[in-house]
Amino acid sequence: MSHAPRNRISNAIDSLITHLVPSNPHDTEQAAQERHDACFELVRAIFERPNSPSISADVNHASDLIKRKLIQSNPSQALRFSNLYTRLLSLPVLNQKWAILYLLYQLSDSPDPNEPPPPPRQSAAPHGLTSREPSFRDRELQAQLLREQEEHEAEEESYQEPAPTEPSFREPTPREPSFRESVAQRATGRAVGRSTATAESKTPTPAPPPVSEEEAVNNVFAPGGLKKLPTERPRRNTTTDEARSQPGAVDGSTKKSTRDVSIKSTLLADNSLEFEPSEMGLLRDLPFTLQGLSSTTLPFTKDTVLKLPPTLPLPIVSLLHTLAEPSLLYRGLANFVKSPAKGLLGQSLRAAINNELRSYLTLVATLEAQIRRALSSLDEAAPRGGIGKAGVTLKRCVVWTREATMGLRLMSLISEESYSKQGGQLISLIHGFSTSHGDPVVAAFAERLLADVTRPFYDILRRWIYDGELSDPHLEFFVREQNPNNEKQNESKAKGQASVWNSKYEVVDAMVPSIMTPDFAQKVFLIGKSLNFIRHSCGDSQWVDAYSKTSSKELKYGDTATLEKWIDDAYKTTMQRLMMLMNTRFRLFDHLQALKNYILLGQGDFIALLMESLAANLDRPAGAQYRHTLTAQLEHAIRGSNAQYDSDEVLRRLDARMLQLSHGDIGWDCFTLEYKIDAPVDVVVTEWGNRQYLKVFNFLWRIKRVEFALASTWRKCMTGARGVLQSNDETVLQTWKSTRGTLAEMIHFVGQLQYYILFEVIESSWGELQKNIRKEDCTLDDLITAHTKYLTSITHKGLLGARRRQHHDAQKEAASLGRDTSEVEDRNSYMVQLSLLLRNMLDYRDSVDGLYSWSVSDFTRRQEVDTASLLRKHRPNSGDMENSVGPDDPFFSGGAGSNIKSEFPALQERLKQLGVSFRQRLQILLGDLAYQPDVDMRFLGVSMNFNDVYQPVRRKSAKTGTTTAAAAGGNVSSQQGQEKQQQQQQQQGQGGNVNVSFSASRA
Amino acid sequence: MADRTEKQAAAQQAVDILHEISTLLNCHLDRRTLSICISMIENGVNPEALAEVVKELRKEGQNVQLEAAAAAGASRRR
Repeated sequence: MSHAPRNRISNAIDSLITHLVPSNPHDTEQAAQERHDACFELVRAIFERPNSPSISADVNHASDLIKRKLIQSNPSQALRFSNLYTRLLSLPVLNQKWAILYLLYQLSDSPDPNEPPPPPRQSAAPHGLTSREPSFRDRELQAQLLREQEEHEAEEESYQEPAPTEPSFREPTPREPSFRESVAQRATGRAVGRSTATAESKTPTPAPPPVSEEEAVNNVFAPGGLKKLPTERPRRNTTTDEARSQPGAVDGSTKKSTRDVSIKSTLLADNSLEFEPSEMGLLRDLPFTLQGLSSTTLPFTKDTVLKLPPTLPLPIVSLLHTLAEPSLLYRGLANFVKSPAKGLLGQSLRAAINNELRSYLTLVATLEAQIRRALSSLDEAAPRGGIGKAGVTLKRCVVWTREATMGLRLMSLISEESYSKQGGQLISLIHGFSTSHGDPVVAAFAERLLADVTRPFYDILRRWIYDGELSDPHLEFFVREQNPNNEKQNESKAKGQASVWNSKYEVVDAMVPSIMTPDFAQKVFLIGKSLNFIRHSCGDSQWVDAYSKTSSKELKYGDTATLEKWIDDAYKTTMQRLMMLMNTRFRLFDHLQALKNYILLGQGDFIALLMESLAANLDRPAGAQYRHTLTAQLEHAIRGSNAQYDSDEVLRRLDARMLQLSHGDIGWDCFTLEYKIDAPVDVVVTEWGNRQYLKVFNFLWRIKRVEFALASTWRKCMTGARGVLQSNDETVLQTWKSTRGTLAEMIHFVGQLQYYILFEVIESSWGELQKNIRKEDCTLDDLITAHTKYLTSITHKGLLGARRRQHHDAQKEAASLGRDTSEVEDRNSYMVQLSLLLRNMLDYRDSVDGLYSWSVSDFTRRQEVDTASLLRKHRPNSGDMENSVGPDDPFFSGGAGSNIKSEFPALQERLKQLGVSFRQRLQILLGDLAYQPDVDMRFLGVSMNFNDVYQPVRRKSAKTGTTTAAAAGGNVSSQQGQEKQQQQQQQQGQGGNVNVSFSASRA
Repeated sequence: MADRTEKQAAAQQAVDILHEISTLLNCHLDRRTLSICISMIENGVNPEALAEVVKELRKEGQNVQLEAAAAAGASRRR
């Protein structure tokens, strides 16, 4: 400050003092002067103090403070103030507007200095503190009190620390109100007494520095007796407090709110309603209710009904409603726990719920202890029985039981659902809660429950994957024994695909718990099934026992990764063992090889020898076949071929037998080789598989037989051509030439067919099979599938099972006419065509034999004519020829030779017809093959017709005719003798048909 | 000269306004006290300290009054 303002200020102070402090008329001049000086010193001292930092030199701030204050007390005045304020702002004279406003603000609501001071007794403060203006001593006292309070607060906090799980157990101590009051007082004290300290936030001890100064001031101003406050002091305190606390924003507001609460609670206590039964009575009975027991005030009228006293006010009723929920749920669950369980999992669920209920009861017990303690410390005189201070109220109980109620709710839901579910479904239900419930509390609860509930399930699982035994008395596991009345199973049994392996156990998809993936369940199923199979079908229970002893582990819910690893291990071990057993002990692969060699004609030398040695025998009628001869020939074939080096195990199973014979069959038709398969290999080579093998064998055997017949005839012709067949007759030579041509065609056809089936089909499928079953992780199931695929591809590609869709309708028609079962024909339309072709070839061969014998007899006749006329003329009997005996039959030329001339044209004609019909059929077959979706089969057509000799015919119009003929041909079978004529006519008719279609397609 | 009177008028106006505000706020300040305070503040006195001073002086004034009353009473009794 410069000198001039300083003087001015001194003057101003002087005038202020004289103005504000009236002179005492009774005082002496000197006393007045002293007083004036003292005042002046005081004023100086105050001015010299450092500025409070909270004051900011901002006009708006001060005006805001004022406005806020006015709005609180009187809004209309606030409006007036803002008018005045704008006018003030527009004035140019004042430089320190904010300071003036702030001064006014500070002085606002100050007592009127002109009013006479009130008498001391009227100013009794409500707080029980002395009512005088807070002097230094007062403040010290307050500070001490504050310190005590804060210590107490800290104590209280540290006391609460050890019980964080029950946060709601914190209760306001009875001392708290006084604490709050003291907080309020502290604020007041600061506000009034020590304006400079207001901005300091909640320092635990009052700041000492200003004290010494203040002490001096107070000493000056507190001479002797205590000064009385004006009557309006409490109000003033409040308002100044508010006004003061606003600069130090947060601090003030919290103080205010705590005080508000204390006011509210007092209000509540004052306004509370008395009701009957009292809250204390209800609290006393509450623990019983929570345990599901009736009490006098809260009786359970029924299992699911809790009766509330009708006299209660509505808020209490709603509280009791909330509290009734856990009580009723508990009752229901307690009943559920006591009810008998359906299965092991049901029992474990009950046990788990029982555990949870026990912890709930623990909670209730704690609650009861709290209630007891609170009730015993109750002050009967206080409003509402002082219950508000005791810390335990109904509302609090609601809060405490809240979490437990959630758990009870979930459990009761589960228990209700569990009636309709069992086993895996039950686990899925709880697992669903634990994984897909949004509330983490519920999820955690369900997870906990799951650990207990799944125990029996994992026991069953353990037995299953380590022992291979299903110990599941209540049908709760997802694997179960198959029901013998099951329709599906009967169906597969009828198909011959049922075996111990795949029809003993089955997976019930609905029972697979959601804690397992379907793949995983399938794996588990396979493990147990394999173990069971090893134990019971393979007779290797020692290994299973040893295995279960070494690797058995306790399975538990939770660690899915480990569980999966263990199960994978078990799976690998079991599968390896099973494959090892199959390979070494049961020689599965040897058997498959043998099946291919013998049944699928893989062993060529053996088959050739067998056929050669059996040929003569099989030409006889089926009735004349004897098992011992067949077996003997089989033995001969084995001994005479490389088959003798095969193991006994294999050869022992090989057997020759006759199929069921029907009238008119010859040996060729019903001879069959058989390879006997016994358990446990029959799980791979099933009954169905055996049938497929037989089918393929019969087909191949027939082709082989035709090939054999054609070859022998060809041989005869070739040797005959050098001697007996030589002739001068041009027509006879021509006939022989064309016959040889047709024969060659036929041999080519049969050769191609055989090549195709044996190499393209069987060998390639075999390669595939080998590849599949030699895989590292091949399981028995894989093996079965691979083998089935192998057989299917053979039967399909080997023309045996190929389905012709165009042909289908015709087949249906034929079926409706009752000619044949549509199924067989439908499946074997190529089969029908091929068998007709083969039959055609056999017939042709017979005719060639006839021609041969005619030529021989003709040759003999000519020789006779040439050499001597002594000899009688020989004429072959037509009956001889129709016998169709072998070419080396000694009787064929035994007939009379008188009809020779008439016989030759008929033979010629027949050979021509057969040749033509063979061609036609072959062309139709090629036409069909050319449109096959299968590449291999199309290729067969190509290789048969590699030089485009034949024109493949796309058969359309003729299909019905062909079918009829085919069916007729099939019916006629291989009847000989008298029926041959008839057959011939039919074939002629058919040939005509084909001709028509042929020409039509050409046109 | 005119400038000076103008200034005085403006000061008068300011004091009027502030006095109105002070009555709004129940400050119990008369115009003279207010003028003195304004001039002090215009001269750089801290308003907060000034408020303190005013309060203290009022107290002192009351004391004096009390004493005077007591003295008067005593003298009357005497």
